Amino acid sequence: MTDTEQLTKRLPNDIGGTSSDPIVWSDHEMAPWEKRCHALADVLDFHKIINTEEKRRGVESLGSEMVGKLTYYERWIVCFANLLYQKQILHPSDLARKMDEVAARFAEPAPSAES
Amino acid sequence: MTGQVLAPLDLRGDVVLATGEAPGFEPGDTVRVMTRSPIGHYRVPRYLRGKTGDVVAVIRPMAVDNEEEGYGRNAGSKGHYYRVAFPMAEVWPGYVGGATDQLLIEVFQTWLERA
Amino acid sequence: MSAVHDHSHDHNHPHAEITQDGGPGYYDLMTAAVTELLVERGLFEAGEICRQIDVLDSRTPALGAKAVARAWMDPDFKRRLLADGRVGCEELGISFYDDTQLIVLENTERVHNLIVCTLCSCYPRPVLGLPPDWYKLKPYRARAISEPRAVLAEFGAQIPDDVEVRVSDSTAIVRYLVLPRRPAGTEQFSESELANLVTRDTMIGVAVIDPPGAPRQ
Repeated sequence: MTDTEQLTKRLPNDIGGTSSDPIVWSDHEMAPWEKRCHALADVLDFHKIINTEEKRRGVESLGSEMVGKLTYYERWIVCFANLLYQKQILHPSDLARKMDEVAARFAEPAPSAES
Repeated sequence: MTGQVLAPLDLRGDVVLATGEAPGFEPGDTVRVMTRSPIGHYRVPRYLRGKTGDVVAVIRPMAVDNEEEGYGRNAGSKGHYYRVAFPMAEVWPGYVGGATDQLLIEVFQTWLERA
Repeated sequence: MSAVHDHSHDHNHPHAEITQDGGPGYYDLMTAAVTELLVERGLFEAGEICRQIDVLDSRTPALGAKAVARAWMDPDFKRRLLADGRVGCEELGISFYDDTQLIVLENTERVHNLIVCTLCSCYPRPVLGLPPDWYKLKPYRARAISEPRAVLAEFGAQIPDDVEVRVSDSTAIVRYLVLPRRPAGTEQFSESELANLVTRDTMIGVAVIDPPGAPRQ
């Protein structure tokens, strides 16, 4: 099988039996945004805006380099953005503008308790 | 009851089941996983292709094929998943372990043929 | 105020994660922005995200441990739990918000069960909460399915050769929970004392429960 054929036929997440690396006992406290991202995934599935299987497919279709380098929830949120464009629910420019808007909001000084 | 075939009913013979409603396999049937290589999305790991195992349960309820679900189907066209047991030695040549060690997995009906 | 701001103060972190240079991280911003856009379009309400965070926070291995301890104490409950894991757990008030089914796999003198998801990270979240990182990473997913005994040994669980190892790979609507063996010397234990012995890893099947007072392996 050629290398490119292998890339096409084997999904980046299909890894059963493919490693002999030691298991590193690892866990981390989820960052608040990771938990929000997980909750977002569940809500998207509840409403069938993006179902869980579409999320899996969307992560795979990021390709092996992104699957290998992004963290778990980074893969999820990028995949949600792609799927929302595909479904014509969002436009790429919508997200770019909104990210700028959210970033600008954080750059503002925190409101005082009275405001 | 999850994973079990329905008990014989008094009315069996009088009640006509809809197309596809009766499972094609029953516990004890020997099945082979097909060897095709779909492009895009699949939920049958590559390590399983072409392997032979025994059906241990019919999963209830019937469900959407997750390879269709991955492209946005949320309802309709449901089919049967089967819990299938494979001897580890059948799946992994050179497997180190007990002779009766097993691998169990759910496989959608479109991937199975009678062996 | 944005939709995200309105509802997130209960979760001790009002906004996106703040990175060391003072601003939220890129993916954090993306998550906040996607959520706000979908709320603005009326696809769901911001409160649903907060509610779901509460749902996630309420699911911990203590729920699974309760089901295990109840099964050890009550043979009729155990029969129902093994017949239909979801119905058994629902009897205890554990809901299946993610629409999965549950098969409970009983460990015995002759059989040791282990669960894995080689394709992604399927896990019995309604009863155990979110999976640990190692469960989602490549070494465990790749190896638990092909050399489970070596993996178990790395976790400190030696499974005798005459005990059958069964590995269940989750791929569809079914999730699995291992019902570990009740250790010897616990005949007088109360249900809550029993539940305290049951760890997350024993319900994944990568560990066995030591008898009380036994030195750790």
